[in-house]
Amino acid sequence: MTESLSRLLLVDDEPQIVRALTPALSAAGYAVEAAETGEAAITALASEPFELVILDLGLPDMDGKAVISRVREWSEIPIIVLSARDLESEKIAALDLGADDFVNKPVGVGELLARIRACLRGRERRFNAQPRFRAGDLEINFPARRVAIQGEEIRLTPREYDLLRTLARYAGRVVTHKQVISAVWGPIAQVDAQFVRVLVGQLRQKLEAEPSSPRIVLTEPGIGYRLATDEEP
Amino acid sequence: MKRLLRILLRYGAAALIVAASTLAAEAFYRVTHSGRLSSIFLIGVLVTAFVLGSGPSLFATGLAFLVYMFLVDPRYELTFGSADDFNTLFVFLAVAILTSSLTGRVRDEAARAIARSRATAALLEATADFAAALDEAYIRARLSHHLAAAARGEAVVLDADGRLATEGKQVSQDLGAAAAALAQAGPSNQAYVPVVVEGWSLRVLQADDAVFGVAAWRAAGPKAFRDEDRALVEVLADTGAAAIARARLARAKSEAETLARTQALRDALLSSISHDLRTPLAAIVASSSSLQEFGADFPPEVRRDLAATIQEEAERLNIYVGNLLSMTKLEGGALNVQKIAFNMGEVLTRATLRQEKLHRLRVASRTAPGAPEVLGDPILLEQALSNVLENALRYSPADTGVKLTAEGDGGEAVIRIADEGPGVADADLDRIFEKFYRATNAPRSGTGLGLSIARGLVEGMGGSVEARNRPYPAHGLIVTFRLPVALQDSEEEQNRERA
Repeated sequence: MTESLSRLLLVDDEPQIVRALTPALSAAGYAVEAAETGEAAITALASEPFELVILDLGLPDMDGKAVISRVREWSEIPIIVLSARDLESEKIAALDLGADDFVNKPVGVGELLARIRACLRGRERRFNAQPRFRAGDLEINFPARRVAIQGEEIRLTPREYDLLRTLARYAGRVVTHKQVISAVWGPIAQVDAQFVRVLVGQLRQKLEAEPSSPRIVLTEPGIGYRLATDEEP
Repeated sequence: MKRLLRILLRYGAAALIVAASTLAAEAFYRVTHSGRLSSIFLIGVLVTAFVLGSGPSLFATGLAFLVYMFLVDPRYELTFGSADDFNTLFVFLAVAILTSSLTGRVRDEAARAIARSRATAALLEATADFAAALDEAYIRARLSHHLAAAARGEAVVLDADGRLATEGKQVSQDLGAAAAALAQAGPSNQAYVPVVVEGWSLRVLQADDAVFGVAAWRAAGPKAFRDEDRALVEVLADTGAAAIARARLARAKSEAETLARTQALRDALLSSISHDLRTPLAAIVASSSSLQEFGADFPPEVRRDLAATIQEEAERLNIYVGNLLSMTKLEGGALNVQKIAFNMGEVLTRATLRQEKLHRLRVASRTAPGAPEVLGDPILLEQALSNVLENALRYSPADTGVKLTAEGDGGEAVIRIADEGPGVADADLDRIFEKFYRATNAPRSGTGLGLSIARGLVEGMGGSVEARNRPYPAHGLIVTFRLPVALQDSEEEQNRERA
């Protein structure tokens, strides 16, 4: 194990899951550490450097959502939730607390690795303050507030631009309705999710070649939206 | 007729009292030659007023005055005119009126007190009756009983459609129709307009805005029913309506609770399915997709390990599916239990080996010295044992083992599974066998199905399962199975013949 490997923390209390995921993650170039409990995960994150956390929600000592909020008190480390719970409310709660992505069990390692890569790239983008964003046909020039599709400039209203900027900032990752409202209307705004849908519809009219089957602004049903990146899992 | 006779009797009695006074006064006069006889007649008037009431006492006053005037000087002549005469008449009249009205009031008061205490007693009895009951039919039956008693006659309780809600009575169609019409009119302020049909008084049974039916009552005779009785009957009817409302509320509440419990069970089952089935599935999908994507890069031992994981998890999945099926069968009473004699040791070994392999650790030491043959279903026993072993291994600390013993104990075969885990709070010992119940100190995720199924299966075989903590200072849980032992050959044959 060399220093150059990205270190992942895999938090799951089921040993067979850890056993099944570790070889592929290692082969993909990550150094995998496993933690069985929420406390062990928090301790490990506090004492050692990690690049990313894969977190199960059903932990023996605490709910995985509690781990997310505890870690978010001091760390912006990417967190991917890997859970058998497929309740929308659980997903929304985890994402609102600051998880970067939510993956349902069972999942193939191909998709999981793609999500990990997207997460790490997004984080890099957020922290290295890129003035330009590019994904597929879409191009955003943040300092100039200019948006172009296939080089052709698109005129957006301020709210549409705020929405797109937020999705682009977290490109590849789900942004919940609540997070969109907070970014576009302000953190204390009381706005119905219906307004978000309308705004997303307007944005699609301007960006998408076929607004009825969007390829840029994707819907995560019941949860929120996601901006497609070059590599779609 | 009776009434007239009673009146005549009372006036006759008044006349007799005056006659007695006259005799006494005449005797007094003969002895003393005193003309002061008015006090003697006054006593007569007083007695009449006290005993017989106002009418007879006034009659007695007039009579006594006339006789008195006849007796005093001049004797045997009716002459009026002196001031004394009027004085005497006034005194007689005042005494008669005051006394009779006073005693009348006292008598009325006493009668009212008796009626009040009767009403209170009837109400108390009825409310006590209703308070104990949550069954609407019972409340209706008791209500009609109390109404009949209060109305001094008969009473029935009809439902909102005018049909008889109390058994064993007959009512006419007209009464039923009137009751239905009254009930259909809905809740109303029915205070002072009694509805009367064929001598039956009707009152809607209502509480808040709901109508529960109609009460009808009829006094046995026209004179027997009084205003106090009407008030009592109406209060009773309202009390009964309130009791019915309460019974309905209680039933709705218990139905809502049952529904909530069913809902909670269904949620627990769904989350159990999503966890217990998806966890092995997740391991299988992760392992197989790893093999597909990186198979060539993996060293052989990693490939073998992933393949083994796939097989183990598929087996685990199979166990869970078996458990779910068993649970469904246990619930539906469709569990098919074989009754055959089999060797317990083999079943123990199979269950143990399987669990050891799945957990990849800890040899459970098993001793079965001369374990007897058991009568039951070997497949179900293996499943029950697997569930308990799974539980024991799951909660055992890493460096400890699970101990499994089997032996004969009188007419029973006893299997004990002992672990060195945290044990269970004494209060939870029986509850851990309830479906979806997880002990409060359970540190690992799980669904709370395994032990309940184990108990269901063993009980289906005519055995029993219990759990207790190991005695201090040891810690851990001991689960004990008790199973019927196969009968000796001869007995078995006899048994078969009998069957």
